[in-house]
Amino acid sequence: MADPKGFLTTDREVAKTRPVDERVKDWNEVYVPGSLLPIISKQAGRCMDCGIPFCHNGCPLGNLIPEWNDYAYREDWREASERLHATNNFPEFTGRLCPAPCESACVLGINQPAVTIKNVEVTIIDKAWDSGDVTPQPPERLSGKTVAVIGSGPAGLAAAQQLTRAGHTVAVYERADRIGGLLRYGIPEFKMEKRHINRRIEQMRAEGTKFRTETEIGRDIDAAKLRKRYDAVVIAAGATTSRDLPAPGRELNGIHFAMEYLPLANKVQEGDLTTPPITAEGKHVVVIGGGDTGADCVGTAHRQGAASVTQLEIMPKPGEERAPGQPWPTFPMLYKVTSAHEEGGERVYSVSTTHFEGDEDGNVQWLHLIEVEFKDGKLEQKPGTERKIPAQLAPVIGTDRENGLVEQFAPGAGRARQRGARRRLRHQRGRRLRRR
Amino acid sequence: MLISGHDGGTGASPLTSLKHAGGPWELGLAETQQTLLLNGLRDRIVVQTDGQLKTGRDVVIAALLGAEEFGFATAPLVVSGCVMMRVCHLDTCPVGIATQNPVLRERYSGQAEYVVNFFQFIAEEVRELLAELGFRTLDEAIGHAELLDTGRAVQHWKAQGLDLGPLLYVPELPEGAVRHQVVEQDHGLAKALDNELIKLAADALNAESAESAQPVRAQVAIRNINRTVGTMLGHEVTRKFGGAGLPDDTIDITFTGSAGQSFGAFAPRGVTLRLEGDANDYVGKGLSGGRVIVRPDRGADHLAEYSTIAGNTLAYGATGGEMYLRGKVGERFCVRNSGATVVSEGVGDHGCEYMTGGRAVVLGPTGRNFAAGMSGGIAYVIDLDPDNVNVDLRDAVGELDDTDKQWLHDAVRRHQEETGSTVAAALLADWDRALARFGKIIPATYQAVLAAKDAAERAGLSESATHEKMMEAATNG
Repeated sequence: MADPKGFLTTDREVAKTRPVDERVKDWNEVYVPGSLLPIISKQAGRCMDCGIPFCHNGCPLGNLIPEWNDYAYREDWREASERLHATNNFPEFTGRLCPAPCESACVLGINQPAVTIKNVEVTIIDKAWDSGDVTPQPPERLSGKTVAVIGSGPAGLAAAQQLTRAGHTVAVYERADRIGGLLRYGIPEFKMEKRHINRRIEQMRAEGTKFRTETEIGRDIDAAKLRKRYDAVVIAAGATTSRDLPAPGRELNGIHFAMEYLPLANKVQEGDLTTPPITAEGKHVVVIGGGDTGADCVGTAHRQGAASVTQLEIMPKPGEERAPGQPWPTFPMLYKVTSAHEEGGERVYSVSTTHFEGDEDGNVQWLHLIEVEFKDGKLEQKPGTERKIPAQLAPVIGTDRENGLVEQFAPGAGRARQRGARRRLRHQRGRRLRRR
Repeated sequence: MLISGHDGGTGASPLTSLKHAGGPWELGLAETQQTLLLNGLRDRIVVQTDGQLKTGRDVVIAALLGAEEFGFATAPLVVSGCVMMRVCHLDTCPVGIATQNPVLRERYSGQAEYVVNFFQFIAEEVRELLAELGFRTLDEAIGHAELLDTGRAVQHWKAQGLDLGPLLYVPELPEGAVRHQVVEQDHGLAKALDNELIKLAADALNAESAESAQPVRAQVAIRNINRTVGTMLGHEVTRKFGGAGLPDDTIDITFTGSAGQSFGAFAPRGVTLRLEGDANDYVGKGLSGGRVIVRPDRGADHLAEYSTIAGNTLAYGATGGEMYLRGKVGERFCVRNSGATVVSEGVGDHGCEYMTGGRAVVLGPTGRNFAAGMSGGIAYVIDLDPDNVNVDLRDAVGELDDTDKQWLHDAVRRHQEETGSTVAAALLADWDRALARFGKIIPATYQAVLAAKDAAERAGLSESATHEKMMEAATNG
């Protein structure tokens, strides 16, 4: 067990961030490289190795947190990495991006600052990569079964890796031009440098996983065909249908979904583009939506050189302490200052967008909003609180909804289409044979 | 009678015991109830059960199976803020329940009202279930195992073929037979040997003050039906003279024969009980400043050091006083001793278990698992085999310093004087060589606390500042 009294003798200390002035000038991760390593063993020693580790439940992966905290405390990085990978295929992603519900559930968090579990996690995996402990684990024998995985986000990749290691032949389908899904094009570089994804893909390729980019299931290959061709299909397509903001003036230029804005910024980082087609440079930016994706837009806008950045949120400002209805060990809604917020901009709560106002060329110039408040459990507009703020670029963050893909796989869906698919499949096989 | 089920266990118990020891209380309770009824004894004792009782339904099931008292621990603890850390024995309870550390106690957030509220809900549920069953009181429901509906449980495919009949069997009872306790227990206190001791000690007990108490010397025969001898006498001393008791040896009684259980239990300062013969278990239980000396009968011709002089669990939870035992004793010697000095000539397994203070001297062989869970006090053991020490305490085995040597010499000499021990006499005759044979066990944290106390006292700090320093040492190990 880790230091039994570590939580009494050591205070919580998190990773250091680079100075704002420095980091907004580049796109690299905001943390000081290597700042965790000197402090992390003592931080891991704050883990109390609880009899009932609530972090296990807080973590949707069921990560064996006290076990690798102990190894990190004792600086046995190889074992730590082994236990970390026991439940988590990609700790370098989760260690950077996950909202850490484990820390919300940490028993120490009842009355003290929680253990820095996420920092420990990322240190273990970074250390493992550096020392070459992360190696391909190809299966010892093949099962002869084939699996298609639709979507190459973290879920798809994790499924693909596990299935490959179990001996199945796995192909991952991705409609974008690169593997990674939202990891690749939704997450800004300053939150996770894309080299982490590339490194994993290399490992997976070496294990035998196949990747098919620019192939959209349902368009390039239909569902029935896929089911025919593979013994099993995993749908890990995510939810990329955005919810729109039905406000007058929505059609004006300069109003985009976050999932239009962020990927273009990432494509610049990938070297596909020299300048982003949608840029915040010199513009007054209003980000509509106060969550994490909003924060990603805020940080991206800062780096593109926005004149100002304002983030709107319809809900009231959350408290800094747990609300009575969100006791430990639940994941509470708290006021969070992300790295993007540290870098500047204004956050406006309890407001709703009424309409947009553009110039004669059809470009958005102003955003009209009104304050709202909860009355009898409903959000109501407060008359007389209308005002307008300058907005020349407005990424809209809609809560993502499901996409239509699942329906194609529904039982009985498109029987007729399936027959057609079978015909096409035969046709295709014939073609392939002919090619041979 | 307590039927304690296997589901429970303290936060300090090892996982192996928690998961693999014991049986369900339902089985034990049913068997107990039936046996008592068949033998016509049910009306004479109270039957209690426990083991993860958490709801009113649990209570009613236990009542129907025959219990009239119900033990709750986990649930009310959780209501008070317990998060089942399972570190009750480590003094690191992060919610301030099982700890003496002031920093951690600060973090305790429980309130008595929460527990009251919890039990009100339990009572409410019990009342509802009783009403459903047609009972007016819980007493009426006790022992009506025939009312338990097991249909749904037995119909489950995993329970197929299970016959719960024997478990739910209620013996044929005569009309109006009771299924719970109605007869008060007769403890037989009027016949206790202590009544005689109190009379003999009248000169001391009737004194105006502790200083003016006349010494009392007496010789009394004892048999093993005489239990807890000295306890009522001690009670009178404490009632009259308070916790400080009387000057040492004011009441000095010599017994001859074989003592029953708990000889000298809770004896306060001023009471000295000498036993010439042998004793049962629990000698000096809760000893609170008194002296207990046990030696073989003067006519006995055996070698005392090879024979057992007293049973198990000696000086259990003793807080002060002295015990000298000429001969070997049983298991769990000095368990939870927190202040008494105890000398014996050999101990069984699990010696000095959970000891928190005081001193233990062993002048003979020790059994295995010595000093398990020992967090304080000092043990001096002759010819100590490190393999017999509990694995967690192996690091605590060390050498004696000059203070230890002086103290140990005095203790062994006293043992020799009080009991006529030939073992002690032989050691004293060649003391320098004897010293080399002793090992000392002192838990590291306890040593740090003692050192901090010493330093604070030498620096002339106030009592509260000294306590703070000691606590600090305890926290930092």
